[in-house]
Amino acid sequence: MSAAVESPQFTEARLEEIKVLVERYPYPRSALLPVLHMAQDDFGYLSRDVQQLVADTLGLHLMAVREVVTFYTMFREQPCGNYLLEVCTNASCMLNGANDLVRHLCDTLDIKVGGTSADGMFTVTEVECAGACGGAPVVQINNVYHERVDAAHLDAVIEKARGGKEVDK
Amino acid sequence: MIPSDPSQVKAICFDRIHIPDVHRLEVARQHGAYAFLPAVLNEFEPDKIVAEVKASGIRGRGGAGFPTGLKWSFVPRNTGKPTYLLCNADEGEPGTFKDRDIMRFDPHLLIEGMIMAGFALDVRDAYIYIRGEFKHEAEVVNEAIREAYEANLLGEHILGTDFSMDLTVHRGAGAYICGEETALIESLEGRAGRPRFKPPFPAVEGFYQCPTVVNNVETLATVPAILEHGGEWHAGIGVDNNTGMKIFSVSGQVNKPGNYEVPLGTPLKTLIEEYCGGLQHGSVPKAVIPGGSSAPWLMPEHYEIPLTFDALAKAGTMLGSGAIIVMDETADVLAVAKRLAHFYAHESCGQCTPCREGTGWMDRVLGRIQCGQGHPGDIEVLHDAAVHMAGRTICALADGAAAPVLSVIKHFPEEVRAGIVENAA
Amino acid sequence: MTTLFINDEEVTAPAGTSILEACQQSGVDVPYFCYHPELSVAANCRMCLVHVEGWNKPAASCCTPISEGMKVYTQTEDVQQDRKMVMEYLLINHPLDCPVCDQGGDCKLQDYAMDYGASRGRYAENKRAAEDYELGPFITTCMTRCIHCTRCVRFADEVAGTGDMGVLNRGDRMSIAGIVDECLSSELSGNLADICPVGALLDGPSHDVARPWELTSHKSTCTQCPQGCDIAIESRGEEVIRIQPVKGSPEPWLCDRGRYVYDAFRSDRRILQPMMRESGEMIAADWDEVMARAAELLTGKRVGIVFSPFWSVEGIAAIRLMRDALFPEARVAFDLHRRDMRPFAFEEGFAQTTQQIEDADEVVILGSDLRQRLPLVMQRLRKRLRADKPVTRIGAMNYRTNAAPTHDLLIRPSDWPAVIARAMQQVMDLGKPAAGMVEWMEQVEGRHEAGKALADALMADSCSLLVGEEIRSHPDAAALIAGLDLLMRGCGHAEEGRDGRNLVPEGMNAQALSAIFGDVRVGAGELFDAAANGELDALLLIGSDPVGDGLFPSHAKEAMAKVPLVQVGAIRGEISDMAEVMLPSAAYSEVEGSFINMEGRVRVATQPLKSLGTERPLWKVMMRLVQALGVEVPAVDMDELRTAVKRFLPDLSGFWEADEVDAYMMPTRRNPKAVYMPAKSTSQSGKLDVVSRYSVYREGIWARASDLLANAGRLHALDDVLVHPDTLREAGLEEGELTIVSSRGEHRYHVGTRLDVSPGVLFVAKRGVAGDLSDESVVELRGGTG
Repeated sequence: MSAAVESPQFTEARLEEIKVLVERYPYPRSALLPVLHMAQDDFGYLSRDVQQLVADTLGLHLMAVREVVTFYTMFREQPCGNYLLEVCTNASCMLNGANDLVRHLCDTLDIKVGGTSADGMFTVTEVECAGACGGAPVVQINNVYHERVDAAHLDAVIEKARGGKEVDK
Repeated sequence: MIPSDPSQVKAICFDRIHIPDVHRLEVARQHGAYAFLPAVLNEFEPDKIVAEVKASGIRGRGGAGFPTGLKWSFVPRNTGKPTYLLCNADEGEPGTFKDRDIMRFDPHLLIEGMIMAGFALDVRDAYIYIRGEFKHEAEVVNEAIREAYEANLLGEHILGTDFSMDLTVHRGAGAYICGEETALIESLEGRAGRPRFKPPFPAVEGFYQCPTVVNNVETLATVPAILEHGGEWHAGIGVDNNTGMKIFSVSGQVNKPGNYEVPLGTPLKTLIEEYCGGLQHGSVPKAVIPGGSSAPWLMPEHYEIPLTFDALAKAGTMLGSGAIIVMDETADVLAVAKRLAHFYAHESCGQCTPCREGTGWMDRVLGRIQCGQGHPGDIEVLHDAAVHMAGRTICALADGAAAPVLSVIKHFPEEVRAGIVENAA
Repeated sequence: MTTLFINDEEVTAPAGTSILEACQQSGVDVPYFCYHPELSVAANCRMCLVHVEGWNKPAASCCTPISEGMKVYTQTEDVQQDRKMVMEYLLINHPLDCPVCDQGGDCKLQDYAMDYGASRGRYAENKRAAEDYELGPFITTCMTRCIHCTRCVRFADEVAGTGDMGVLNRGDRMSIAGIVDECLSSELSGNLADICPVGALLDGPSHDVARPWELTSHKSTCTQCPQGCDIAIESRGEEVIRIQPVKGSPEPWLCDRGRYVYDAFRSDRRILQPMMRESGEMIAADWDEVMARAAELLTGKRVGIVFSPFWSVEGIAAIRLMRDALFPEARVAFDLHRRDMRPFAFEEGFAQTTQQIEDADEVVILGSDLRQRLPLVMQRLRKRLRADKPVTRIGAMNYRTNAAPTHDLLIRPSDWPAVIARAMQQVMDLGKPAAGMVEWMEQVEGRHEAGKALADALMADSCSLLVGEEIRSHPDAAALIAGLDLLMRGCGHAEEGRDGRNLVPEGMNAQALSAIFGDVRVGAGELFDAAANGELDALLLIGSDPVGDGLFPSHAKEAMAKVPLVQVGAIRGEISDMAEVMLPSAAYSEVEGSFINMEGRVRVATQPLKSLGTERPLWKVMMRLVQALGVEVPAVDMDELRTAVKRFLPDLSGFWEADEVDAYMMPTRRNPKAVYMPAKSTSQSGKLDVVSRYSVYREGIWARASDLLANAGRLHALDDVLVHPDTLREAGLEEGELTIVSSRGEHRYHVGTRLDVSPGVLFVAKRGVAGDLSDESVVELRGGTG
């Protein structure tokens, strides 16, 4: 097999972190979810190579890693935009206008739900209950919770992001 | 956020919640955190702690409502295997958002509760399984744990006693089913969160086949108060067999959605009107989902029902996690039922035939009805699919999936029929 | 024992039994998909739901233990309704493929749809389809039909030990997948088609060929390895379509070699007509002509006879009769892996059943690639390890087992005496000597620490030794086995009922071979050398292929270059190019006959397939040969032959008359006087011990004639020549083209490295290229340019 693309590797610091983490569990396999989070943070998404790296690091069969990666919603096997906008459309958020927010985002960014904008900056998905229903409707932007969101707020976020500024709460 | 509302009864879990920076150890300590812990570790016997918790009458605050003291007493001693304490902070039941507030505002209350519970159960390693989306909350709790280690409240020889315990935060990754205790254990073992059949029960064979107790955040956060003031004190709050306070997460079409800690037995109407500022539209709800989306719907005739496990069970529903989703007269109940059907189809782990296949079926049928393309046989199909998954599966997700479907066809048959074309094949 | 009521009938069963198993034991039918007696309980199909009185919801009978006084009802209205609904749920996404699906006629889904399902489904939405996966050369997948019972996943984890199948996604997007892109890395993969209750995993080679109701079943015995599994050869007319396991056999599974060798039955490498060489070409001729040619080559000559153990007992007895009649002085060899012909303290064969080995307190594998030699024994050991029972392994390589042995120690073959001596030392120190141990130990200079693991295991109440090919083919095997015998006797593992001395044989019928040929046999190497030295005038090879198999390929080639060869057999092998005459004898699938496996189990095949050509059962060929050489035929029919067999094996007559299968097990020979002291150490610095490795897909003349197995062999190819990197480093060499110096001279080979082999050993794969090196015990390694 030609080694055209170098296979991904964890940094020394990350490996040390993993080593410490594994000690906290009775068996290394328990560290799989946290290590997958780390890998996703490091590499942006969990390609097959990254999954193999995680498997090798923890001494697991690749299938064990694949089962977990495909089971849990937060793990991505494909890259996404710089900003992942996850709109909850479950009961309380739906009752408070979440579907309108989704439509607005899709119209503004000219994409379908699940898609990524042409400039690669924004991906919009619908998610299940985010556990902040008191602040409905809830949108997570790169895992940061935005509550009582309206279209104007989202427009401001998009503009800020496009202007190169960091988006925070 | 929680509006500060005067109450005659002192809050238990939310006692310190408004104090700025109380997530920091220094501030928490100024307001009583860990003050009673030395007494517990030095003077209480583990059996006594279990007895106090039993006497308190507290029932699991995560949804099942199982008496906590009884659960703890199921753990066998001297098996040669370690006992594990797992805190269920997965908080995925739609409508529930109470544990989030405990964790991000007063994490030391949870940690203290876990130390005491761990001491009672002879635990060496404890974990907090927190849903993956709560990244910020996990960071706050982790920082609090770090502070606790530094202050010798965790780790070896806590406060100079013989008791040592490690506590680790473990993030999930987006799966509602991991709130089910055996699925949580599977996930903590590094697998997909597929529930296990019972027996064996986690208390006997749980995490890596060792004795394991899984408790909800709110349950554990109540332990310090129970031990400090006594089980009898706790039993004096609320109603017989439904003792203590409960945090109700109220959302949907109310004016002031949020978390409210009130005594069990508080009437639903009181909660909605006096705490939550009443309905967004009208004065009587169209329907209320009283215990998280898995609970059958309450109709207006039950608007004044006292909020207890028993009363709601008697009315054919459940208190569950205490998550109350309110629908007012403008709500499209069919859309809500369909959206919830979609939720369960998405979250089904896929093991059991009825749930794996049936949740998708109900979702698609309701979707068709929603688009006005229902068939005459659809109501019977929805009924059969729902009835034959509830109680027929390894875990109760199927029962939860059945609830909104059965509720909407039972209580709103006209709205359902509106989407059905009578002459369709 | 617990008493309960099933449909109001009182039933007793052991405490802890599941309701489902209690129902099965009392003959009450409860439907299920995901349950399997050999696999862990999954409880996911929900088809086995039953009603228990007093319970407010139905119980899944497969995972619910019985309790005293429990009242179970399996046929209530509600239970029927639940079953109907499960069928309806399953048919939501399951395609209605029956007309084109191989499972048809043997399908649980069909059967239950008839018994419990509704006549129409109400699902009117879109159905999902699933991608198919490559699951190896033997399994065809049609994953859209999968009902997610997870039997295959549990099989891969628990039985095959590979863990390379899993469940992806969740909900109705759930799919079963195999991880390995090209093949499922297990030698048990064929069983997947058996356990899949629907047509998602199907037998590849017989895919789209026949339907179950068209097939006739012929009960037979596999002879590919000493396990001798019960098999059902299923044919449509005369064509073998597939081989299946037999329900109720001692082993619940079949390995891929035994299952897929059947295409060799009709391969073009079958010898179906008598053949003889005319002007350099092999031509077919009639029996009389070819027999006459054979007579020319053999009459009055000094003949060496080499035969394979896989014939029936009757065939083997006929060989002896033929020899005594025609060549009373002839040397006979049947073991291509044995260098030391002195009697062994415990001869080839198992003292225990595989179940007893599985249940023993301790099991020690000594020098064997057990997964490839005896896949089903290895599977039982895998079961042991899953149940946290120990398995110790000492040998030249960490052969892949798809399970982690408790103790896994690497040694080189020349270390065996030191290993045994070390074990003896410990055993004696612990007060368990056997007479002769001291003398044995004194002959050995060194002590190898791996012996500790052996001694530790011997301390248990019951200990099973599995003595493998590395010891059996050792030049000093008799002494090593004598030493092991002393250890087993000293530790109480040699008495009746506690005998744990199991020597893995060459092939089938080990007990019969000892009894019938024990007095006249010689080593194969010795026999070939005699031919090459002019001490023999002709070779008669019966079923054997000593060039393709065994440790004497070069010796055999030299012998056959020197003297004419008469081949009797069912399959052409590499040797056939050198044969003067080929006499066709029937395949094991085409004969009635008795077969004895390594445990001593006796099987009689009674429903043979029809011969494809003019091949005849071996015993008839032997008698015809006797006749052709002008001698009176010792047995003219099966009865007379069996009488002769009974003379050799008196115990066998009891078996032929018995009603029950497995009522009688043939014991393995013991030679208590076979006490041999170990020879002085043969390990020379700079020299490497040679160990031959076997591919389960390539070993044996039948396997090599099978295209199905050849395909698998290609995918699972072993490297030709391997050493440990330290071995190269010590010799100052690097991986690549190197020179191997042996008694045959100098030859260049590509030498690779692996970490899981013992330093000081040269591994040779029996795949042809480096096959000739198997002759050697010791070689030297030099640089490529040397």
